[in-house]
Amino acid sequence: MMHQTIKRDGVETIGDPYLCLEGMNKKYGLVEVISNLNLAVRKGELIALLGPSGCGKTTTLRMIAGLIAPTAGRITVGGRDVTQIAPHGRDMGLVFQSYALFPHMTVAKNVAFGLEMRGLSRADIANKVAKALGMVQLEHLAERKPRELSGGQQQRVALARALVIEPSILLLDEPLSNLDAKLRDEMRTQIRDIQQQLGITTVFVTHDQVEALSMCDRIVVMKGGLIEQVGTPHEIYERPATPFVASFVGRTNRVKGKRTADGCIRIGSSMIRSARPAVQDDVMVMVRPHRIHIDWNAASTEQQGETANRMAAVLSRITFVGDVIQYHFDVGGSEFIVEESTKKSQVSRDQGDKAVLSWSVEDTLVFGADQ
Amino acid sequence: MEENPTSWFMRVTVTILFLFLLAPVLLVFPISFSGDQILAFPPSSWSLQWYEALLGNTVMMSAFLTSLGLATVVTVLSLIIAIPASYAIVRLKVTGSEFLFNLFTAPLLLPTIVLGLAILIIFASMGLLATFTGLVIGHLVITLPYALRVLSVSLGNLNLACEEAAASLGAKPLAVFGKVTLPMMAPGIVAATALCFLVSFDEVVITLFLTGPRMTTLPVELFHHVESQADPLVASVSVLLILMTLAVVMIVDRTMGLTKAFMK
Repeated sequence: MMHQTIKRDGVETIGDPYLCLEGMNKKYGLVEVISNLNLAVRKGELIALLGPSGCGKTTTLRMIAGLIAPTAGRITVGGRDVTQIAPHGRDMGLVFQSYALFPHMTVAKNVAFGLEMRGLSRADIANKVAKALGMVQLEHLAERKPRELSGGQQQRVALARALVIEPSILLLDEPLSNLDAKLRDEMRTQIRDIQQQLGITTVFVTHDQVEALSMCDRIVVMKGGLIEQVGTPHEIYERPATPFVASFVGRTNRVKGKRTADGCIRIGSSMIRSARPAVQDDVMVMVRPHRIHIDWNAASTEQQGETANRMAAVLSRITFVGDVIQYHFDVGGSEFIVEESTKKSQVSRDQGDKAVLSWSVEDTLVFGADQ
Repeated sequence: MEENPTSWFMRVTVTILFLFLLAPVLLVFPISFSGDQILAFPPSSWSLQWYEALLGNTVMMSAFLTSLGLATVVTVLSLIIAIPASYAIVRLKVTGSEFLFNLFTAPLLLPTIVLGLAILIIFASMGLLATFTGLVIGHLVITLPYALRVLSVSLGNLNLACEEAAASLGAKPLAVFGKVTLPMMAPGIVAATALCFLVSFDEVVITLFLTGPRMTTLPVELFHHVESQADPLVASVSVLLILMTLAVVMIVDRTMGLTKAFMK
């Protein structure tokens, strides 16, 4: 089973690190926006910097690109220290939320820009530009100006422009945030496919947990200039290291509880258990809404076996969200939300209906109340 | 099509306003074709004699050429100074740039006649009166604030990410400026060019202090002519001034559209 210890800080030892950030610090006046950030990225890895706005994820990306000078710290790429190198010498491809295409140049000229700066021959440039535009399926728009393209097409040009120089690292700054939902899904797949096909080391900044979970090899969850947790999407989702990670990635119920002498946790009048022992007397219990099973016909909350927590609950509200239905339960004064996927023949429930909620001990996340 | 119920009222008001503003200007055209010896409307007969008189008037013609050359030189110099200055103020944000910006644009707020007098006093001691150099420097005081304002706004509105993208693609700072920043500022540069040219070409107040019998500009010569004589020659000179202005405005409109050049 998955009972690995959870790493609480960003310092992680991985084999063969390619991009390394060591002791990164950024201060604006007295305000510290990044404090002692350490991160190692493997070659060919797609890593997400995930967090709410103001968490320092974009600042971190801009420091990697050389657009912001760090107050302290060291950045190395493949062993080469690039901390003092200007952006034009860093060999990194950047894609912005605002696309940032050159409005006075055609699509082909935009993509050719980086190659011209490298002094390639005209034939080479034409060849590589055609190949890069082919990769994002935009060969037919090569002679258009950026303003004649849709948002999704512009972002694909920006991606081609960043990739055509074969950068050592690809940096994506919220590249999908200006696109509509359907396009975002397509671009997500396309970016991931191209990234894997080229095997390019990529840092992806996003505030959208779905993007981070679905596209990336590993996720760095940030808050207030600090790394909360680094891990695979699965680790971040199933074993969040902090209450912040648990509530920022995915939805979760949070209830206050008290540790008892025998190691159980009391919530109201119910006793539950968790896989990890509580570290404090006052604890915060978190359970994912879709991991809870509702038993409408149960007579008692008596424990059946050792693997499940069971609590008696009263239905207080129902919210229909299309593909899922949310039941809001009152459990001894605390609210529990349970999600079930909707079925054709849904039995209708009423406010005040009694039920027993159960979920596995494995799915019970326990944190100190002051964390 | 949706019809605004007040649009007829708006249209009439705008038409009246336009007529009110343009009537004196439009009046100049028929008078310039007058066959009379005095400035009067309507003229009793028609002729081209005042255009012939203008072409034969060496003082007027040399003043016109001076104005044309002056406006060209002043415009070019304004851009050469204001483009790097706006970059230093908006992009590099060098220390004291705020102060410099206010200093450069202060002449817009001062009474022009006071400026003219001040320049006269300084130039008199330096022997710059009624010289081309003196006129150029005097006009720069007036045109630079316009150029700097227009270019700073234009630069401030650019997406900084474009310049950052160019840098990340391997462009050195000078290449970023030349290949990305400058071309993206094109609308602002055209607007600044037109404004500087027109301001310099029309300038009277400061120029009055700086011209003399050795060297004079068309607007100043026109002013002097009206003081001494009341013949329709001034109408044909005015037509020349109006046509020059129109030409500049039309060049701007053809190259990028007036709205784009002046509104953004």
